[in-house]
Amino acid sequence: MRREEFNPTFLIKKEDVFSFSDPAFIELFKAVLNKKAAFRFKAKGFSMSPFIKDGDAITVANFFDVGPKWAEIVAFIHPETEKLIVHRVVARRKEFYIIKGDNACKGDGFVPRENIIGRVTKVERKGKRVFFGFGPERFLIAMFSHKKVLLPLLFPIRILVRLITKKPAI
Amino acid sequence: MRKKVNLDSVYAPSEDVVAREVQGEFIIIPIASGIGDLEDEIFSLNETGRAIWDKLDGKASLRQIVKDLSSNFEGSSEDIEKDVTGLVEGLLKRRMVIEKRRV
Repeated sequence: MRREEFNPTFLIKKEDVFSFSDPAFIELFKAVLNKKAAFRFKAKGFSMSPFIKDGDAITVANFFDVGPKWAEIVAFIHPETEKLIVHRVVARRKEFYIIKGDNACKGDGFVPRENIIGRVTKVERKGKRVFFGFGPERFLIAMFSHKKVLLPLLFPIRILVRLITKKPAI
Repeated sequence: MRKKVNLDSVYAPSEDVVAREVQGEFIIIPIASGIGDLEDEIFSLNETGRAIWDKLDGKASLRQIVKDLSSNFEGSSEDIEKDVTGLVEGLLKRRMVIEKRRV
């Protein structure tokens, strides 16, 4: 029998090409949080725009015994698709959380606590921290999103975000 | 400072890494800074690198690991020893493995 050639390599990777629906990736995510470390990765999609945009760097941390709170953005496993999603908690019904993307027409339904794996603690866009959508305004966003009146308001909010993040003219 | 690898030492993965196979690739993410950062450098081992990693269990010495691998892979013991120590040196340098003890 011919034996396999011995050629160990140790590579440094700079780009992540992981699929959020891959159970192994979700397991890796959970393993990092279980070690009390945060997990930083690139956001994919537009369902949280303009607060989190495609390509933003998101940092997700462990709950440290303080469970998900209303209006905060969380990372969770969708109960039906089993995909890793980052959306906002818009309401709570007994032991279930109602979660919805700020820019999504439809909510994610009733999500059990055990599916919610961490909270978003930081969002960075082009190297700068994004604050809008994470301060006290998050309560209004969650309320409007739950009442399904946020989407028509997103256009003026986008303009506001652009004005806030616009570089001052020198 | 270059870390010296000793064949009579026992090595084990550091508590400051998370290693998993994802999409057919063995990935090591350092978390020493308190963040597992996919936006920064992450590391990947090929199949034979993984074979070495799996044997760094905090029980077997590198000499024993080289002996085990020599019976499973093609190549002289000297070459395998050189590759194993080279890889462990790289892992030690990045604090991905720690020296547990000497036998």
